[in-house]
Amino acid sequence: MTGAACFNIHYLPVKITCLKILIIEDEVELSESIATYLKGEEYICEIAADYKSAVYKTEVYEYDCIILDITLPGGSGLEILKQLKANNNVDGVLIISARNSIEDKVAGLTLGADDYLPKPFHLSELSARIAAIIRRRNFFGSNIIEFNEISMDTQAKSITINGHSPELTKKEYELLLYLICNKRKVISKNAIAQHLWADETERNIDFIYTHIKNLRKKIVEAGGTDYIKSVYGMGYKFTD
Amino acid sequence: MKLLTKYYRANILATLVVVVLSSVCYYFLIHHVLIEQLDDALEVEEQEVIEYVKQNSVLPAPSSYEDQAVNFKEASGKGMQRTFRTISFFNHEDKAHLATRQLIFPIEVKGKIYNVFVLRSQEETDELVRLILIITVLIILLLLIILFLINRFMLQRLWEPFNSTLRHLKQFNLSGKYELQAQKTSINEFRELNDAVSIMTIKVNKEYDALKNLTEIASHEMQTPLAIINSKLDLLIQGENINEKQMEQLQAIYNALDRLSRLNKSLLLLAKIENNQFNLSVNISLDTVLREKLQQLEELSGNKSQVIYADIHPVNIKGNEELLDILVSNLLNNAIRYNLEGGTISVSLKDNLLVISNTSPLPALDENKIFLRFYRHAGTKPEGSGLGLSIVKQICHDAGYILRYFYREERHEFTVQF
Repeated sequence: MTGAACFNIHYLPVKITCLKILIIEDEVELSESIATYLKGEEYICEIAADYKSAVYKTEVYEYDCIILDITLPGGSGLEILKQLKANNNVDGVLIISARNSIEDKVAGLTLGADDYLPKPFHLSELSARIAAIIRRRNFFGSNIIEFNEISMDTQAKSITINGHSPELTKKEYELLLYLICNKRKVISKNAIAQHLWADETERNIDFIYTHIKNLRKKIVEAGGTDYIKSVYGMGYKFTD
Repeated sequence: MKLLTKYYRANILATLVVVVLSSVCYYFLIHHVLIEQLDDALEVEEQEVIEYVKQNSVLPAPSSYEDQAVNFKEASGKGMQRTFRTISFFNHEDKAHLATRQLIFPIEVKGKIYNVFVLRSQEETDELVRLILIITVLIILLLLIILFLINRFMLQRLWEPFNSTLRHLKQFNLSGKYELQAQKTSINEFRELNDAVSIMTIKVNKEYDALKNLTEIASHEMQTPLAIINSKLDLLIQGENINEKQMEQLQAIYNALDRLSRLNKSLLLLAKIENNQFNLSVNISLDTVLREKLQQLEELSGNKSQVIYADIHPVNIKGNEELLDILVSNLLNNAIRYNLEGGTISVSLKDNLLVISNTSPLPALDENKIFLRFYRHAGTKPEGSGLGLSIVKQICHDAGYILRYFYREERHEFTVQF
């Protein structure tokens, strides 16, 4: 334990309804983008730009999710992860790394990270991954995500609208979950394509349109409101 | 021609010429000396005859003992000129021609002129010459045998360090970690060669590593700025006051960024395959990989009217799942992307052989060029990274698969023999 641990005695974590996120990332522009994007949702973000301040913050405060870059000035992100796990810290950890290699991914996940997202990524993807981590870590919470009359069960991978349960294909379910995780945000088609088909989608971004159309139809048929707004043909926004 | 053979030819030729020439010289020299000696002996006899005639005023009796004989014949006129000559006459005892040295000189006894013939056998001299010939032949034979033995045992061993270095150089492979294990040698030339080769290979390996690492590091370093641009774009489109025109431009930026990201990933992947960063010894059911990929593609190509014929048999190989996934995916993606509207794709997997063929508006491709990085056939859309087939090639090269391209019956066909 470093001297910073002394603060722990005086600091009493206050339970707040907002979820706390720590962004450990040395690129200020990137961490600020992430913070700006996430602040719009129910998150409170803190930023640590180097190894020392990251270690200090993780020791003193509790977070619902830590976004962890591997290459940091002053040390490795994996080192921080090791310490977190050694201290039985229960914070969720999402690794973001410029080194997109299987070894890094395996190393990170073995050390106890919850997920691994290689750079470059879309903020909507990051947000969806964070939501998934928090959902999984929140043992006492439910697996139900609600947006007005639409409720999604992430355990059963099903949706209910006003008591109706329309059958969604796997892709439609993933698409809806992605949209709701990024509600009231404009999501580019590129981001959706990358989310649904990873690297496969070399050519057919317009193919998303078919999925959106089908999804809309199913929601409306089940008696739900069509919350999916098209934004000038370049993306979609799930909003009331 | 081997250096040794060339050296031996020169060596043997020179030796033979020298031996033969020196034998000829010996022959003449020894012959000359022996004849001189014979002539000296004949002159001594001449003096004796002249002394005898001076004192007794009569001719001595003709004599013949051992290998010397003296005869007299009355001469007409002044007698013969004093001469030495070699004559050969038939010996009835030995039944052979005998070479004889003869000195003829005139002598006057009581007013009468006689020719004196002093003879001495030349047999010994001929014997000697024969001996020299035999010795010469023996020397040549001996020389040949010695040279052969030296070649066989000595020179082979002398050149061994050189041959060993050569063998190592032939095995030299840029992409493999390689260090020259030169044989120790006391020969300066070979030591110098080994040192030079050693330094060169280390240098080449270092340069190559640096180049490979540069690609990998550069690709890694590019990920972060790409992530920043991506995140800023994601934020930018949240703005309330963006008009349609600006959105169109943002979409173009997104698309370009996507391409750049994919390109970067492909380059990184190539560098990683080159750096042997994949475990290639995992047991993989190739037919499962292929079926899954086909299912994914069917979903994506749903709005393109293409028919896929698949004939897939169970094939288990050792390899890397990620790489095989990429290999299959790249080949199938190409088959779909460059296909005709309403064209066909045929996929067959049998006996460790994967064959993917498709119809296409493109003519036969240059098989020496299609696997080159960033090569794009004229008229193809620039939506691909230009690295798809290079990656397939690199995977095959790394894993020891044989990749081939054929164009038959207006179909483009790629085969991979695992």
